[in-house]
Amino acid sequence: MAKAATSDDSAKRRRRWTALLLAPAGLWFLALLVMPLAVVVVFSLGERAPAGGYAPALSLANYLNLPARWTAFRNTLVLAPIGTLVCLLAAYPLAYFLAVRTSPRYRLLLLILVIVPFWTSFLIRTYAWMFILGGRGLPALFEWIGFGEIRLINTPLSVLIGIVYGYLPLMVFPIFVSLERLDKRLLEAAADLGSTPWRSFRQVTLPLSAPGVITGCMLVFILLMGEYLIPQLLGGGKVFFIGNALVDLFLQSRNWPYGSAVAMSLVILMLATVTLYLRLTRRYGGRDVSLL
Amino acid sequence: MDRKQFIQQLRRYQKGSISRRHFLGVTGLGTATAVLASAMPELVWPRAASAAEIGDRVSLTTWPNYHDPANFEAFTAKTGAAVEVAVFGSNEEMLAKLQAGGTGWDVFVPTNYTISTYKDLDLIQPLDLSKLPNYDAAAYETRFVEAGSIDGVTYAVSKDWGTTGYAVNTAKVTEPMTSWKQFWDLSMDKYTGRTMVHDYQLTTIGNALKYYGYSFNSIDTAELAEAEKLLLAAKPHLFAINSDYQPSMRSGDAWMTVCWTGDAKQMHRDLPEIVYVVAKEGGEIWSDFYAIPKEAPHLEAAYALIDFLLDPAVNAKEVLAHGYPTADSRTTALLPKELAEDPIMYPAAELLAPLEFGAAATLTDPNRAEIMARFKSA
Amino acid sequence: MAAAMTQQAPEPRAEAAGIDVRFRGVSKRFGAVAAVDDVSFEIPRGSFHSFLGPSGCGKTTSLRLIAGFEQPSEGEVEIAGVPMVGVPAYRRPVNMVFQHYALFPHLDVFANIAFGLKQLRPRPSAAEIGRRVGEALELVRLPGMGSRRAWELSGGQQQRVALARALINRPTVLLLDEPLAALDRKLRRDMQMELQNLQREVGITFVLVTHDQEEALSMSDTIGIMRDGRIEQFGSPSELYDAPVNRYVADFVGESNFFAGAVAAADADGATIRTAQGLEIAAPYSPRGRKLAVGSAGVIAVRPEIVALWDPAESGQALADYRFRGRVRNRIYLGDQTEFSVAVPELGEILVRAPKGSAAGAAGFAAGTEIALGWRRERALALADG
Repeated sequence: MAKAATSDDSAKRRRRWTALLLAPAGLWFLALLVMPLAVVVVFSLGERAPAGGYAPALSLANYLNLPARWTAFRNTLVLAPIGTLVCLLAAYPLAYFLAVRTSPRYRLLLLILVIVPFWTSFLIRTYAWMFILGGRGLPALFEWIGFGEIRLINTPLSVLIGIVYGYLPLMVFPIFVSLERLDKRLLEAAADLGSTPWRSFRQVTLPLSAPGVITGCMLVFILLMGEYLIPQLLGGGKVFFIGNALVDLFLQSRNWPYGSAVAMSLVILMLATVTLYLRLTRRYGGRDVSLL
Repeated sequence: MDRKQFIQQLRRYQKGSISRRHFLGVTGLGTATAVLASAMPELVWPRAASAAEIGDRVSLTTWPNYHDPANFEAFTAKTGAAVEVAVFGSNEEMLAKLQAGGTGWDVFVPTNYTISTYKDLDLIQPLDLSKLPNYDAAAYETRFVEAGSIDGVTYAVSKDWGTTGYAVNTAKVTEPMTSWKQFWDLSMDKYTGRTMVHDYQLTTIGNALKYYGYSFNSIDTAELAEAEKLLLAAKPHLFAINSDYQPSMRSGDAWMTVCWTGDAKQMHRDLPEIVYVVAKEGGEIWSDFYAIPKEAPHLEAAYALIDFLLDPAVNAKEVLAHGYPTADSRTTALLPKELAEDPIMYPAAELLAPLEFGAAATLTDPNRAEIMARFKSA
Repeated sequence: MAAAMTQQAPEPRAEAAGIDVRFRGVSKRFGAVAAVDDVSFEIPRGSFHSFLGPSGCGKTTSLRLIAGFEQPSEGEVEIAGVPMVGVPAYRRPVNMVFQHYALFPHLDVFANIAFGLKQLRPRPSAAEIGRRVGEALELVRLPGMGSRRAWELSGGQQQRVALARALINRPTVLLLDEPLAALDRKLRRDMQMELQNLQREVGITFVLVTHDQEEALSMSDTIGIMRDGRIEQFGSPSELYDAPVNRYVADFVGESNFFAGAVAAADADGATIRTAQGLEIAAPYSPRGRKLAVGSAGVIAVRPEIVALWDPAESGQALADYRFRGRVRNRIYLGDQTEFSVAVPELGEILVRAPKGSAAGAAGFAAGTEIALGWRRERALALADG
């Protein structure tokens, strides 16, 4: 009896500790995610106050007005996936090179080189691209070489370049990790079974790095969906993302309810994407998948 | 790098990005500076040896590159109060911040057409002119100061004024430019892909309205619909919609841009081929003010700072730094002769005559806000 | 152990004419280190060969040289008479069972086994693949497990999947890299039997790498004992046991009591060793050992099963040439035999193994008993001490 009581007590104590340890995270979650989200939902049903801001109302007008921002949605939904894809195409060989082909002696150094840009403000780095892509930058070089006059800055292409530049490390790292964890003997096993290097890559390396690829893609895609700075600076206000529409709605036209509705629709888009991600990763099942 | 060097570097950087109000504010760097300043004032400003009775700090919310930093240092040396500077991107943002409350601002710099809104929303306080001995109403041109007073009560005192015209790179644009009609027509034709407009509805829509000869301040639906049509037609031909236009103008990417006085002055100083045009149809004339928010936590320091900056000797240094004319004749008298006669700062009377001051409704009109948003997201 | 010896491995098959694996002066150097150092050997077709040695002896590198994961720094590797130098792993007619199986975690059992078939050009039809994978699953006694994931299987099952995967392409040579190391003892025994049966069934040459002498002795037709990148001795298990070339081999294969010292006398047939205690012990040379020079370091190897134990009160055991008195320190009953550890003042600790039927086995001297022990000179071996 005494023994049973003791173990019961300790179980209770453990539960209390668990609750205590979870409390900060729970409060954080509640105060900084749930409650603001609830505010956004309420706002999205309201209407713009005469001098801007929020006035209480109960209407779906803001949601019905979403098509007015169709261009922003379209730009985001086109450039975010393309940006993610180009990031992936650029990052995979780099991650592969770092994880597989680089001697451990130089690997750390090279990994640090991948991170080094993060030591400078993203804003300043993106700003620098305005000059690289501007008339006196690359286009001048191309013109000198003889490609004729090329316009880069303030085009979707320059936004894409900025996206790839900014988000490449986020894509490189998860892929690098999944490739580095990949058991090299699996490649020997594949070769042993008659698989050429290229086929081994397709049949073993690629599927086994899929979790890293999926994680990287989600990371980049989700952040791109909310991207604001790159279209602002490298798109010259002409390539407009949902993020830019939101900033405009809150800071310029100060139509908070409509902004909230746009924000909510962005959240819903993100949720759909994450669901798709979880569905995809479940296919690879169990232990070999790193969740986001 | 010691504290002083750091601050110098920071300022240099801020100066490098030059444009009047957009860039730093919009990108959040200005806010970051503000946060840095409020979190660690001693990092941004050396603590004064002796704190006077006005307290040890005062916050100023203003536009980028709108002051001579040496003046703040002088103020701190004189009074012991460190000046915490925050820069913003637009009047709308300032309004949004003050409406949300809890800003901790002591002094801020609203533009003429916003003051009545601040007053109506009870966000600013009447000024006790006895605490501003350097303010001499008689020394100011009335039209630049009248927006600061409502029903005989002074809520804001004049900082400086300017016009909104456009800048042209005459090395590329050979036509003699005189009108908004030319500006828009050539932007959509010969100089396609070379023109910039502000990311600011007041000036962009206002100057589109001028194309048709309508009022800069029009909130007439039919007139605005025409302006929107022009904007949407022009959009594919624009280089950018961005209030940070100096870099692109200087690099030669853009050849024409909607432009404020000070920016034109700065660009022209370095690149004489960039000239400033105040269009013959008119456009905007504006004035900026110092005002004190209702909730200002360091009221005495706020008055001290405004009074210091209104001192003609101090103000003259300010003008030399930012390149906008002042309405204070005492200050103008102190300026070098060539500056006082500068055609960018002081356009000819016949060009000034048709210019309009922005109206409060122009800023807050929801229709104009939505047209701008549609224009940008088109 | 002796148990392994009782279940004699089959002799290399004489009828298997050709040579499946041949090394000629093969060296493999990693930087300054020679993992494999001038090794030559031949493995006859259809035999079960093992490389035995401690870790770092070069046995795994040898296997990888056969598989094609490594290319030799010098020398020639032939498989079924075809030179293999420069031929990549994926073009060699060999398959490997990896140490920890290296099953593809993203594929189910069926796809793992089918992997090799799918690399064939022209690619076999789906029906053909299905049939052959089914057969392979039958062969390794895992029918119906095709849709499982590798990590859902037990160690023994994974082992069988790895086997089936490696056998599906009917390689000329099957390579096994410590395939049983991860299994528990009982399972290991079962798998040893199965591997032998399987080898006989499929008739493929098996090359096994192991550090477990029991495993090597019980399964192999031939064994190569390796040390420091070289092959110390290459032969059948019984040859290695009965005719080791030196102390290293005798020590690695089975157990021995060793009495080391300087060679005091030597002739064409044997040598006498003088131990540190001044004891002189003679024995004939190992049939495969080399003759010892007087003064060189030698050792007398006395296998535990040739040592007789008797009650000192009894006068018997006249057959023993060397006789000592000692005290039983430990007695371990092993069922079919009994193992004694006897402290002998002149010799130190002596290991004795008495079969169940023997007098000593029956007497069952308890720990602490004063006993006599001895062995016949011609049953011990005089070996080089190296």
